Amino acid sequence: MTICLGLEGTAHSFGAGIVSSEGLVLSNVWDMLRPDEGGIHPREASQHHAYLGPLLIRQSIDDAGISPKQIDIIAFSQGPGLGPCLRTTATMARSLSLHLGVPLIGVNHCVAHIEIGSLESGFNDPVTIYVSGGNSQVIAFAGGRYRTFGETLDIAIGNMLDVFGRHVGMRFPAGPKVEKLAKMGSTYHTLPYSVKGMDISYSGMLTSARRLFDEGLPLDDICYSIQETAFGMLAEVAERAIAHTKKNEVLLTGGVARNNRLTEILQGVADRHGARFHRVSPPLAGDQGAMIAWTGILQYGVGDTLEISSSGVLPKWRTDEQDIGWKE
Amino acid sequence: MRLEGAHIAIGAESIITKVALWDRSFVLKTRPSKPYLIPAIDSSLRASRTSRECKGLNVARSLGVPTPAVHAIDLNDYSILMDYIPGTPLKQVASTLGSTTLGNLCYRFGRIIAKLHRGGMVHGDPTTSNLLITSNEKTWIIDFGLSEMNATVEMKGVDLHLIKRALETSHWDMQENMLSRTIEGYVDELGKEAEPVLERMDAIRERGRYH
Repeated sequence: MTICLGLEGTAHSFGAGIVSSEGLVLSNVWDMLRPDEGGIHPREASQHHAYLGPLLIRQSIDDAGISPKQIDIIAFSQGPGLGPCLRTTATMARSLSLHLGVPLIGVNHCVAHIEIGSLESGFNDPVTIYVSGGNSQVIAFAGGRYRTFGETLDIAIGNMLDVFGRHVGMRFPAGPKVEKLAKMGSTYHTLPYSVKGMDISYSGMLTSARRLFDEGLPLDDICYSIQETAFGMLAEVAERAIAHTKKNEVLLTGGVARNNRLTEILQGVADRHGARFHRVSPPLAGDQGAMIAWTGILQYGVGDTLEISSSGVLPKWRTDEQDIGWKE
Repeated sequence: MRLEGAHIAIGAESIITKVALWDRSFVLKTRPSKPYLIPAIDSSLRASRTSRECKGLNVARSLGVPTPAVHAIDLNDYSILMDYIPGTPLKQVASTLGSTTLGNLCYRFGRIIAKLHRGGMVHGDPTTSNLLITSNEKTWIIDFGLSEMNATVEMKGVDLHLIKRALETSHWDMQENMLSRTIEGYVDELGKEAEPVLERMDAIRERGRYH
């Protein structure tokens, strides 16, 4: 059995998780920076990671009930993400790898979301809808790589919800509050619905929703309208990807996967195409170390390790640039 | 429209039926309701896509781009009756063609998109599934449900970005040749007007948070 410690730190969260080659999550701890006001500043986030990282790593080892000497591999989120956050995380990973004398693995953050979701669901070949503060992507495996079939052309869905929430006085993250209010809304106000091929755009919708609020319309109705429009767009591009790839598994992951209305809509899409559907459970859907550890184990199995000298971070690392040697 | 025929394709948002009328073949394209959307969004999408499709097919024809002719439209059940084109999508045949033939078809794809752009319209879903090749190697473009008029440089840039993405996801082993020949056709048709659109295409790709 191989044991991997995975470190995740691409944006506002830092996480450490320990997973075995049998696919058991032995521990998974994280902390998210929650600014009092405004958005995420990359430098503040990296300071958060530098301050809490060592404590969280220690806690993950304690929670797993192992000694550091039992760790066989160190994996870290090499990209994509915010440069300062990635560098802080990479520094911790390199130090641990050198200190323990074990191999270092660089993991692609987006690939890790899909792999941990596949582990949890038992899916082999899903169309993945990955929705979070920084990402809105529809990804599927084709020609030896995970390829992005569709994504946002401007802002991510989570970011759109947060910016709207800030405008109306909600605290970060706004998604759960928008969902709660949307349940009480009933009147639909038309918002720009923007699908281009398999890509989507949320900026026009955001501007219109803010205007509706400024005009004094009830907030619960606006939240309802935002959810129905934004999730309808996602459902449509997901459906296009399913029809295009003819795959029969649909995986929903990322922080916004917690939303029950989005889940219901995507379940409906999957049903229409006779596909199986799985929403990744909240502890494994957000940014955390277990997904990095598990993907590290898969990469280790095909000899995909890094020398320290070539372990620089990759802030713009595309999903389709990672070889997926462990899948046929 | 109530016409009998065989389903030849069930897409993400439509059902395509081949029907025989007046000793000829036609396509009936119907946009069914999506139960997971609220009725207000569902009916407005079905209406706007049906109307955009008719308009797009006709405007494209007037710009010299081969498209199926529209014979009838029914806004009660959101269906369109149009010519049946006996062709195969480029997506299906691409891997069976030699690189010169494939390159030439892509070159024509680029010219077609350029003609639409010059006429102030964008296709909205320019994938290789929507370019039909007939036995005499004539190219037809279909599926105008996402087309838009009064196109800006941004909208045209998105159109080219979508071509690039479609080549990446469906033709990863041939994407360089296919993209360069498509762009070549686009530039040959549009001349200097192509420059700002190509620049915008690159900018759009960089705009996403990470790539």
